[in-house]
Amino acid sequence: MRERVKEILEENFPDIDFESSDELVDDGIIDSLSIVGMISALSDEFDVSLPYEEIVPENFNSLDSIAELIEKYM
Amino acid sequence: MIGMSYISFSFLLFLAVLMTLYLLMPSVRLRQIILLAGNLVFYICAGGRSLLAILIATTFIVYAASRLMGRVYEGFESETAAKELKPKEKSQLLASYRKRAKAVLIPSLVIVLGILVYGKAGKLIGFPETSDFSSLAGAGFRAVMVPLGISYYTFSAVGYLLDIYWRKTKAEKNPLLLLLSMTYFPVIIQGPISRYDRLMKQFGELPGFSYERVTFGLQRAVFGFFKKLVLADRISAFPAAVFGNIQEHSGLLVVLAVCANAVHLYMDFSGCMDIVIGISEALGVTLDENFSQPFFSKSAAEFWRRWHITLGSWFKDYVYMPIATSKFMMNRTSAIRKSGKKRLASFTAAAVPLIVVWILTGLWHGTGADYLLWGVYWGVLIILETAFAPEWKKLAAYLHTEPDRPLPGFLRMVRTFVYFCFGRMITALGCAGSALIILRRIFSGSGAREFIDGSVFTYGVDAKDFAVIAAGLFICFLVSIWQTKMHIRERIAKMALPVRWAVYLAGIMAVVIFGVYGPGYSASSFVYGAF
Repeated sequence: MRERVKEILEENFPDIDFESSDELVDDGIIDSLSIVGMISALSDEFDVSLPYEEIVPENFNSLDSIAELIEKYM
Repeated sequence: MIGMSYISFSFLLFLAVLMTLYLLMPSVRLRQIILLAGNLVFYICAGGRSLLAILIATTFIVYAASRLMGRVYEGFESETAAKELKPKEKSQLLASYRKRAKAVLIPSLVIVLGILVYGKAGKLIGFPETSDFSSLAGAGFRAVMVPLGISYYTFSAVGYLLDIYWRKTKAEKNPLLLLLSMTYFPVIIQGPISRYDRLMKQFGELPGFSYERVTFGLQRAVFGFFKKLVLADRISAFPAAVFGNIQEHSGLLVVLAVCANAVHLYMDFSGCMDIVIGISEALGVTLDENFSQPFFSKSAAEFWRRWHITLGSWFKDYVYMPIATSKFMMNRTSAIRKSGKKRLASFTAAAVPLIVVWILTGLWHGTGADYLLWGVYWGVLIILETAFAPEWKKLAAYLHTEPDRPLPGFLRMVRTFVYFCFGRMITALGCAGSALIILRRIFSGSGAREFIDGSVFTYGVDAKDFAVIAAGLFICFLVSIWQTKMHIRERIAKMALPVRWAVYLAGIMAVVIFGVYGPGYSASSFVYGAF
């Protein structure tokens, strides 16, 4: 799952190194605009719909937490 | 005491009495009670007396709605605890509970936001303002009542209700803590727009006296008084004089007035924030920062992450993200992407929520056409920047420039300041064509004569004032630079006693000697208090 998520994100956001930090949002590596793009790409690929309450920095801070989040709603 | 503001003598007296009583109290409970009494006294003295009932009623509605939604979700939690559910089943069950929470959320939002919208819309169509219910009824409801601080506490209250609905925070059971947050005197008039969950947590554990905290807080407040009384109130006369008679002026003089107008707003608003955040720090309550050296920003989007931060982050959390991640938007952009138009899909995903946010931001500041235009102006700038980011990058590579190197970085800061000044021009004259009128005057002559014959010093700011402003701005510039590198107050606290006290006294003396005081010490009111 993690690898698949990584592949999709890297394809859509070639400039972002998702493995570079465990605090992607807090370190300013990804902003709200990228989060929106990430949700859109991942929802399309995995056919999931994320409730707004899950869209918090903690869920997007690392590749692991993003993969976990998607898995939860599959 | 009517019309007490943060820079009135009566406020200093109020603060001295409140702080003494508050810091002497031996328990959290007593400190809460003293603080609540202080909040109410402040609200009444600041001119909110006749409409205090609306603020209290709003608090009651927010409390009732938050508790009802809290109870709905407690039901969900106990049901999920009793059954073993898969995540998907859990989210389906949650959807049914959410429907029930929504039945509470919508009416409460309609009432809380309705009072704000009624006031703003009423003003737009020219209804007069009234301060009591009987004259409202007497006017056949063709008047508006605008409670003091409504734009600020409404936003905080709406954010709190939405956070509970989205289960990002839990409903507070103690109504006293909510009442303390909704009436908290440092934030009620001009913000920062607080997140009530964070405030209530702090009100629940109000700390006692700490020498370091109280002195640090008061030092910051003194710096705020310096920005407001020495700089903002001294600068303001100049743009007021030039804009007040704009057809008589041209060129450089108008450019200087536009820059002065921008710097005045920063000193006025950020000075007020230093005062209130400092006072709150002395009381043991940390408020969210509203400014982070905004004039060092290299882009419009970055500027709005560093200027009026709490307003921007409110719009991001409660308007931008919910729209951008809504099913409707996701489906639309997904359909566009699947049709092969990837670029258009990401443009739509960024642009639609941004334009909604900026129209609302404009309307929050004022309901006239000039503010609407101002909102659209910033929206378009930010969309051009963010949605076309790949194109800008390609352009920079083509031109062989590295945008983050010192010189291009500095030029980008200057450009951001120009963006800001232009934005100010849109609303400076209070009419829809404001920016055009000012631009026309800028290009209608050199305006150099006033600088050569010295008449530039006759527009409310004489040569001595210019010198004080230049020195004051230089100090603020140094402080801004230092702030990016160190904790200034901690650094000063570690200095030898005579040096330390020389710095403190110099700060206080600067405010006392160079502050601009009107008759009977009623310095001019803050710009952002009117929203």
